[in-house]
Parts: sequence; structure tokens; C-alpha cells
Amino acid sequence: MKRRFVLTALGAGALLVGWGAMPPRSRSGRRETLPVVDGAVGLNGWIRIAEGDGGVQLAMPRAEMGQGVHHALALLAAEQLDIAPGRIALFDAGADRLYGNVAGALESVLWFEPGDEGRLVRGSRWLLAKAARELGLSITGGSSSIADAWDVLPLAAATARAQLLGAASLHWKLPVAELVVSDGVVSHPSGPKAHFGELAKAAASTPPGEVALKPRSAWQRVGHAAPRRDLPAKVDGSAVYGIDVRRPGQLFAVVLMSPALAGRPGALQTDRATATGLRVVRLPPLAGAPAALAVVGPSTWHAMQGARALAVAWQPAPGQAPDSRLVAAELDAQARAALAGEAGFGFRDRGDARAVKGVRRLEALYRAPYLAHAALEPLNCTAQVADGRVRLWAGTQVPSFARAAAAQVAGVPEDAVELHVPYLGGSFGRRLEVEVIAQAVRVAQETGGRPVQLLWPREQDFMHDVYRPAGAAVLRAELDAEGRALALAIGSAGDAVMPRWYERVFPPAAAPVDLPDKNAVDGLTAFPYALPHLRITHVSTRSGVPVGNWRSVGHSHFAFFAEAFVDELAEAANTDPVDYRLGLLKALPAHAAVLRRAAQEAGWGRPLPAGRARGVALHASFGSIVAMVAEVSLAGGRPRVHRLTAAIDCGTVVDPGVVRQQVEGAAMFGLAAALHGRIDIHDGVVQQRNFPDQPLVTLADTPAIDVHVMDSERAPAGAGEPGVPPLAPAVANALHALTGRRLRELPLVPAP
Amino acid sequence: MELNVNGRVHPLDGAAVPPDMPLLWVLRDVLGLTGTKYGCGIAACGACTVHVDGQAVRACVLPVSAVAGKAVRTIEALGTPERPHPLQAAWIAHQVPQCGYCQGGVLMATAALLAKKPDPSDAEIDAAVTNLCRCGTTPRMRAAIRAAVRLR
Repeated sequence: MKRRFVLTALGAGALLVGWGAMPPRSRSGRRETLPVVDGAVGLNGWIRIAEGDGGVQLAMPRAEMGQGVHHALALLAAEQLDIAPGRIALFDAGADRLYGNVAGALESVLWFEPGDEGRLVRGSRWLLAKAARELGLSITGGSSSIADAWDVLPLAAATARAQLLGAASLHWKLPVAELVVSDGVVSHPSGPKAHFGELAKAAASTPPGEVALKPRSAWQRVGHAAPRRDLPAKVDGSAVYGIDVRRPGQLFAVVLMSPALAGRPGALQTDRATATGLRVVRLPPLAGAPAALAVVGPSTWHAMQGARALAVAWQPAPGQAPDSRLVAAELDAQARAALAGEAGFGFRDRGDARAVKGVRRLEALYRAPYLAHAALEPLNCTAQVADGRVRLWAGTQVPSFARAAAAQVAGVPEDAVELHVPYLGGSFGRRLEVEVIAQAVRVAQETGGRPVQLLWPREQDFMHDVYRPAGAAVLRAELDAEGRALALAIGSAGDAVMPRWYERVFPPAAAPVDLPDKNAVDGLTAFPYALPHLRITHVSTRSGVPVGNWRSVGHSHFAFFAEAFVDELAEAANTDPVDYRLGLLKALPAHAAVLRRAAQEAGWGRPLPAGRARGVALHASFGSIVAMVAEVSLAGGRPRVHRLTAAIDCGTVVDPGVVRQQVEGAAMFGLAAALHGRIDIHDGVVQQRNFPDQPLVTLADTPAIDVHVMDSERAPAGAGEPGVPPLAPAVANALHALTGRRLRELPLVPAP
Repeated sequence: MELNVNGRVHPLDGAAVPPDMPLLWVLRDVLGLTGTKYGCGIAACGACTVHVDGQAVRACVLPVSAVAGKAVRTIEALGTPERPHPLQAAWIAHQVPQCGYCQGGVLMATAALLAKKPDPSDAEIDAAVTNLCRCGTTPRMRAAIRAAVRLR
């Protein structure tokens, strides 16, 4: 028995080593990867050519949720193929694992010292990338779409181009080197000319030979701002979001869940609902959603009226109901325990932060609340279950998990699930969940083959979100006689995010115990400053409140703690906040350059009118570095942000216009959270139910925002999320400069 | 009753469309005009903004019976592909939308303002455009509105 175990282990080890030594599997796919459709020829897993007009059809595995990814990926293909982006049509990529997001998987698992590019770092990335390729999970998230596509899509497009040229060369008996491609037409100076469609069939059986990517110097589209392809339909009402899907015979349903988190429906008085021709379906707990009711009717409004008429005896979840006031007290205690070394996982440990004693000590407790995603399009999914097949129309960030969830509920194999992904009316991490998809399939099992659209009314969307976890940190610096920090020790606490997410969407990856979740505390693990003694210890808690990925995840609040405290350190050292940071960034020149740029563009140090002040913050996340300068005043005791100046280094830029748009949007998203964002849970019941309880920043309160995109030739990194984390500390630091008082809790509400 | 939407008269089946059914859901689920969006259901977000006799109204709380005999205009009829409304052209020129979900409502609210005040002040814009945008596109809106004023 023992011997057999040893042999098995050796065998497995040998296989693993063998697998590890092989190069990663290609992600280009073959011509067979794409189903042949009328008049279109697949050249690889990404590119199909329409024979009729020579237009390109691009497989689109990523969700367009506002971030411009459809536009950007089409630009990457257009660049290599030499065709106008407008002649590239997009279609839903299928379930093939080649569409898995490798870059996103890397970002979510690994953490290293900022700036470390050593062999161990590179080796770990390489191996994990290979594993992620094998797993092939299609996900739009972690600001990773461009970074992920960068090594894949241009190559697939360039390969297709090489095949098309090869076909023309064979047909015309002319050398490839003499052929020219212009807007999808291949020609030779001597006269022969054919559009891609006329060459497509021959190209499909022509080996590409040596494929060369266009050098950077030859780029005509990548790196230049261009109009987004999705915007015309978004200003005339024709863009179709998940909630706009209309199928023949479609029914409409709304979900009704317990007012308290995790409660379930008990006895039910259905007379009024059924009297009006409505149908009530009981839903079991699905993919993280509690047991619920769905009311089905001929319109959303009929279903809503039916849900209102239901008299439900709601049963609370067993055990102590979660309460955000108790959670906050517990997080404070856990953060202190982490600082004392009594609990938690050490994410960073440099020098001997706990032994160093200064002449003075600076210590502060920071806090952040739960937050809701509140995408403007509430959760919804349209499903049809008929003839052993499931058809889904779902604005989802996770096609792989959506298919798996639907297949499981319907009891069909995954390849019996057909998924269409319309536009997403915002998401910010909310549609990384699949509960509404599982629920819609369950309802569709009861509608006799008719498609049904299940909607979470706004109140359900607010009250049953997967919230940005609350968090707390105690930061303690030992200062020398001049007030300079010698050592920094940080103890922090907050719920783990990834383990809860895996449990809901990808149970095979759920571990029996939580592994250290760096995502939950990224705002601290990314601490860039060269203090000789640094220790960061985090306690992963489990509050019982459903928590999930909220735009920039653990960067969103823990970066506030770090960057606001660094401002305190600068003050203690009697040094300008920009100069102070620059002094500690000598080993990270890219960070320093971004900070300098933002400070310079903002006119840092130039006098302001009375009643105004500036604050600065710097934070790196998702491979990008963002610095922000906020200019604030107080109006009637309320903070008012007048100007934001941002600089971003996100590596090579595909479209600087989209990057600016994303950083502006992220700043506004961060501003709404910094000024107003909070979710309070009292005795298990979320108190904020609709937008008046949870305001956003309207046009009247919108600052002027300037975004400066740094030139860079390194590989592309994230753009959607990195603008969120520095906003809150920049505003808090500005308010301190204005009032002399520190605000250490979000949202930033100055004392009267 | 009959409903006049975008210049077309739609007879409504009284059994399927009770008089208290909000205009939003009649547009979306009965007539299939899905450009008008549901965001909050309580007139807080403005995603459902349409014009009724030229006035910007939030359709999610407006009973359909209240618009009998009146002209309803939705985002689908704000302009045409050949002749887009100046705001639509400006929105493209300034690349305003991100996810786009709120933009139809924003454009309808702004168009109603410009119809009354061809060159509105900042305060008039702030008072008329109170729509919620979660993507954070408001920083581009004021400049786009000014550009539309010049285009008219």
C-alpha cells in the first residue's frame, strides 16, 4: 500500500515535471475551432473571414461592460490584419479553453515585492500561466483583458494575414514580399487584386509560414485614440443589454428574497398572485443566493405587482444575524491582534519592524465600510430550457462559470448550453457571480419551453449584493528624532474575498480552509515605499456577510489606509507629501515618474485661492501605476472636489482615449464611495435599498478631471480598476491640508 | 386606450395593460421599445427619462393612463441615423458613454432642456440633468452639451 502510494506520487511528480517543461499550449486555435457559418471561413480560433465582402469576424470572449474592450480587441486585430476596425464584426466566442483568461489568473494569485522581476518571480508567472491556460476559464475581470489578449490576439490576426497572403501568392505565383494589404484587400503592383473573402477558402489550407508581428514603429492604429465601436448604438437606444433581450413568447419574472441576508421563504399566501394569472416558483439556494421566490408574468410590471402582493413568512438564517456595527468592532480587534503578532498571515516582512523602536511612535486606526456595486442595469438573465438544451442571454463576466451553473441546474451537459452575452449595463465585479443565471434556468424549467427573463428589482440588487468587504487597519510607525519613519508595522483585518467567490461560482476550487487571500488586502501588499523595516499582517475574517469583487477589490480601501497614513508620515517628517514619497521611491522609478507627472500637471505647490487645498495619493494595482491630485473645498460642511489630476502608467496603450475615459470613470466611482458610499447591515438586514439611500455623484458635483497617460513600451497592464484606489486618499489628504484634521474612516464625513 | 409614441399610434389591450401600469413597462415589455431603461423604479436615477409633450418625465412612476392623448417621444426617436440630434453627435464626438445604460435618459433630459433653453447656464444644466451614471461619465457631459449648443 505504502509502496504503491510512493510509486503513484513519483509518477504524478514525473508527469508534473514533464508537463512543466513543455511549452504552454497555443491559444491561437485551429480552423476547426470556429463553427463554420454561412459564407464565413474560420482561419483559427479567433478569426473568420466573410467570403462575400471580405469582412473579418472576430471571436469575442470578453464582456463589454463599459470599459471599451470590444473596441480595443478589434483594434488589435485590425492593426495586424490591415483592415478598418469598422469592417471587423464581433461574435460570441464559444466555450473553447483557448479563450481562458491567463493574465487575470496570474494577477489574482501571485504577489511579490513591488519591482521584483527576479527569476523566482518570472518562473512562478510562467508556470502559473501554463496552468491557467490548461484550465481555460473565460473571465472578464481584474483589468486583465488587454494584458491577456496581447500575446494571443495579435498573433492570431497576424497568422491569418500570413495565410491570406500565402494564398494570394500561390494563386498569383508572385512572392509574398511583393504583396500589399490595404483595408482588407490584397494586391500586387502588377495588377492582381483580391479582397480577404476571395482568398479565405484557399487561405484556410495554406500554412502561414513564418509569422511576423508588425513592429511597433509600423503601428497605425494601436496607440491612437479612435471612436469606440459601441457608442453609436448607445446614444440612439438600439444597444441591447441583457435586460433588453426579447424572444418570441418570452415571459418576465422578478425575484423576491428575504429582507434579511440568507433568510428563506416559509409559508406563502399566493392567492392574489395566482388570481391575476401569475406563477410563483420556489427557488432553492443557488450559487450563493439564498432560497427565494420568483414571480412569473406577462410583463416585468405584472411580476413586480405579483411579488408585492405575496404574503411571505420569511424564515431567518440560523445563528447570529450579521450586523455591520459588530463586524466593525471585530475588525478593529482583529487588526490590533494582527499588529501584535497574535493572529494573521504575514504578507510582507522586511527587516525587523517589530523590534525597531524610535524616539516617537505614530499610530492610527483606519476603517472602511461595506459597499454595493449598484451597476445601473440590475441583475438579470434570460433563459430558455427546451429539448434538453439551455439557451442563455446573460450579461456575464464569467462565461465558463455561467455555462457550468446552467448545466448543473438543468441537468444537461455543458455543451448543451448556448450562451449569448449582450452588453452589460455596468458591472464592476457584480456579474462575476452566476446566481441570477442559475435562478433564471430554474424558472425556465417551469415555463413549458418558453423563454423567461428573470430580473432582480433594484431593491433586491442592493439588499442581496456580494458587498465590498468592510476593512480595518492599525498602522504604527516608529519615528526618529526628526520625525522620519524607521519602521512601519501594519495589522489589518477584513473578509477573504476569493474563497467566498470560489464557493459560489467554482466549487472545485473551494478549499476546506481559506488560503491567504492577497486580493482582499492588495492595497497594503502593494506598499511601494522603501522603509527598511516593514511588516504587514492581515487577518482574513469571515463575517457571514456575502462579499465579492468590487472594482479594484482589496485595493479599493486598503490603499486608502496606506496612502492616507503615508501622508501622516510626511507630516510627521515635516516634509512635502510629494517630496516625501519621492524620497522613498528611488528603487521604483516608474512610480516616481507617475507621481511627478501628476504633481506637475496639477500645479502642485502653486498657491490656491483661500478655502481650497490639494492632496495627493499614489497607488499601483493591476500592473499599472496611478497618481492623483485632488483639489477640494468645504461647502456647508460637505467636501467638494473641484479638480482631479491623474497620471497613469499602464504600459503599452492600445487606445489612450479609452484609458483616459476609464481613469475618469474610476475616479468618479471612487468619489461616490469616498463621499457617500456605505452599506449598513442591522440584524442581518441591509439598510440601503435604492439610490436615494446610496447617492452617486451627479453632474452638479462633478469635478474637472485631467488624465495624463504616460508613454511606455512595456507590455499592457490594467486600465479599468487602477484609477479607483488613489481617489479616496487623495481627497482625504486634501481635506487634511484644508482643515488640519485627519479623516480615517470612509466615507469621508468631516466632523461638524 | 391608445398610446402615441414617436409619432405612431399604438392601440393598447386593456386586459394586458391596466391603466396604472407605468409607461416604462408599457414601452419596454408591451411595445418592445427597450431604449428606455429601468434603473430604480422610484424616479431616482433618470434612466427611464422620456418626453411627454416635450417635457422630460421619468416613465417608471408615470401611469400609462396619464399620457392618454399626449405625444410620447423615446430615445429611439431623438434623432435619425441621417440626422442625429446635436446632442447625439456631440456625445459621440466627446466619447461620453461607457456602459451606456444611463445615456438614453441623460440625452432625453438634456434634449428637453435645450428645446426650452437653447443656451443654458451651468446652473440650468445642473438642475435639469440629475441623472445617475455609475460609470462616471459626467465629467464629459458638460463639454458635450456645450458642443451640442454650438452645433444647433
